[in-house]
Amino acid sequence: MTVGAGNPRTSAEGGHDVVIDVDNLRMIYPAPKPGALPTVAVDGVSFQVGRGEIFGFLGPNGAGKTTTISILTTLLQPTAGHARVEGIDVGTRPNDVRRKLGLVFQRSTADEELTGRENMAIQAGLYGHSGTSVDRRVTELLVQMDLGSVGDRLVKTYSGGMRRRLELAVGMVHDPKLLFLDEPTLGLDPQGRAGFWRYIRTLRGSEGVTVFMTTHYLDEADQLCDRIAVIDRGKIVATGTPKELKDGIGGDTLEVAVAPGAADLSPLLTPMPGVKAVSRREDSYRVKCTNGEQLIPKVVLAAEQAGISVRGVTVAKPTLDEVFLELTGHAYREEGESPKEDRSGGNGGGSDQGRRP
Amino acid sequence: MMLPMASLIRREYLRWIRAPTWVISGLMSPILYLLLFGQAFNLGKLLPPGTPASALSQVLSGAPNYFSYFAVGMVAFASVTAAMFSGTGIIFDKQLGILQRILSTPISRRSVFLSSLVFRGMLTLIPAFLVVGFALLLADVPGVAGLTVSSGVTVLDSVQFLAAALVLSVAFTALFLSFGFAAQRIESYFGVVTILQLPILLTSNAMYPTSIMPTWLQYLVGFNPISLAVNIMRMSLFGTAGYPYSAGIYFAGLLAWAVLFVGLALLLASRALRTNPAASPTGSALSQAIAE
Repeated sequence: MTVGAGNPRTSAEGGHDVVIDVDNLRMIYPAPKPGALPTVAVDGVSFQVGRGEIFGFLGPNGAGKTTTISILTTLLQPTAGHARVEGIDVGTRPNDVRRKLGLVFQRSTADEELTGRENMAIQAGLYGHSGTSVDRRVTELLVQMDLGSVGDRLVKTYSGGMRRRLELAVGMVHDPKLLFLDEPTLGLDPQGRAGFWRYIRTLRGSEGVTVFMTTHYLDEADQLCDRIAVIDRGKIVATGTPKELKDGIGGDTLEVAVAPGAADLSPLLTPMPGVKAVSRREDSYRVKCTNGEQLIPKVVLAAEQAGISVRGVTVAKPTLDEVFLELTGHAYREEGESPKEDRSGGNGGGSDQGRRP
Repeated sequence: MMLPMASLIRREYLRWIRAPTWVISGLMSPILYLLLFGQAFNLGKLLPPGTPASALSQVLSGAPNYFSYFAVGMVAFASVTAAMFSGTGIIFDKQLGILQRILSTPISRRSVFLSSLVFRGMLTLIPAFLVVGFALLLADVPGVAGLTVSSGVTVLDSVQFLAAALVLSVAFTALFLSFGFAAQRIESYFGVVTILQLPILLTSNAMYPTSIMPTWLQYLVGFNPISLAVNIMRMSLFGTAGYPYSAGIYFAGLLAWAVLFVGLALLLASRALRTNPAASPTGSALSQAIAE
């Protein structure tokens, strides 16, 4: 399936403003010891990210997300292929790329024994910035991240949510227009995650920043990201908006319950516009269709006219769970969680959401 | 290049100053050595009564008493002991992902290495200076042995003393820093340090005169960078009589060790900080951490 063909949405709006351009990227880790097999972590990945987008890299643990983000942020040299950030090749001019981007890691990388403000000032110093302009910038970001009152406290006194927001603030201190987030909400509870999404949207709004993020949470990709690339076993299996991806696998499912012993409704349902497949289980029918809501009155009307009493109709919207299953042939949750990430607080990639009501 | 380095040094300083246990224990142990070991182990008392002071002084390379001899050795001992912790910070930075964050900024890899060397090197000098100051003070306390220097010590001698202490600090800071860059875990780091600690410290003339050792050990002691530095420092304070070589020769030897250790540290640091896993058979620490 090809949805959106990997082109950023902004290109359709006239300006060809590609911030991240990835072309056939491959990363092969050498065998850890003689006789062992090398690991193909990223296997020919290509995509583009447009200015101002929140672009999600969605996949289960071990799919190649962190490797990709490490290559894009110059922490790792790819085996083959090219990646350009703001038109600059990450392999040949890494220092120019580093100036352009901010990076937020999975884990908290702030110094515990330092205050939030000190952490930010030191990070600014690493980019060669100092003085009152840095002080102003630090204060501005602390306020934006709702850390204004704790900026002078040691980081070891921060709550989990505060630490995550501080990571955002540290990543933004040198005023980048491109922010990379590697599993930024790993280990946060659903409420904490939703809160964190708000801060990312705030930054996009106030700083005009483009966001590239990896996530293995399906709901995060669905609700936060403008576009997503689904990656599995080192390969991108689909790119598009969450809606495009969900529509692409056949859209909605209509559950129609009829009175016991009623005549077969299938012959009436099958020819209706937008219907893709109909399956019957005793007195209920599952209708795969593109336009669930619009189909409801038609189904009810046709059934009444045929003398079949309809007991109830429900529409189920497709989830990214189903998208993933459809695209890869295996269920999202079945992918083995790496033990390391399990310990660090991952709560079983995506299993807490995305199920049919 | 200076501002990013200054930022990293400020970071290390703030972390150090906010861990009072480390600060206090790092400063206390050389003082205790001086007070307890230095006072108790008075070699002069072992000589038969009536032995002229010049005979003792000859055994002690010109030092007027054992404590003075020992105090100079302790300057080297204290800075090398302090240097043994130099590599710990970089291991924690690797494990916590802080090193990765630093490497994602435009700071040069050389600055990351140099900032550690400069800051850690300075840290190892603090106990050295403390030893000198404390030992000199003890000389004014009645009934207690203190550091007594010969009356002819010049400014140049003092500079020579400081230069030897500085080069020794840089050499061992670099050595242990290189272990920090190479090690993945704090346990393996301290494993190596523990194995090396006694051979490095005891095959030197910091505590005992070389002349009381067997010949084979004397050879070993002669090449030990601690001995070379201590020779220079004792020459500065007690005079050059009785040494087979000049201070310049010892200094050249000490510098050679420093170049070797700094070179080793640069090599291991660049391996640990590189981003290309294919370039080394085992892959760098960084890419291995990412690959996990």
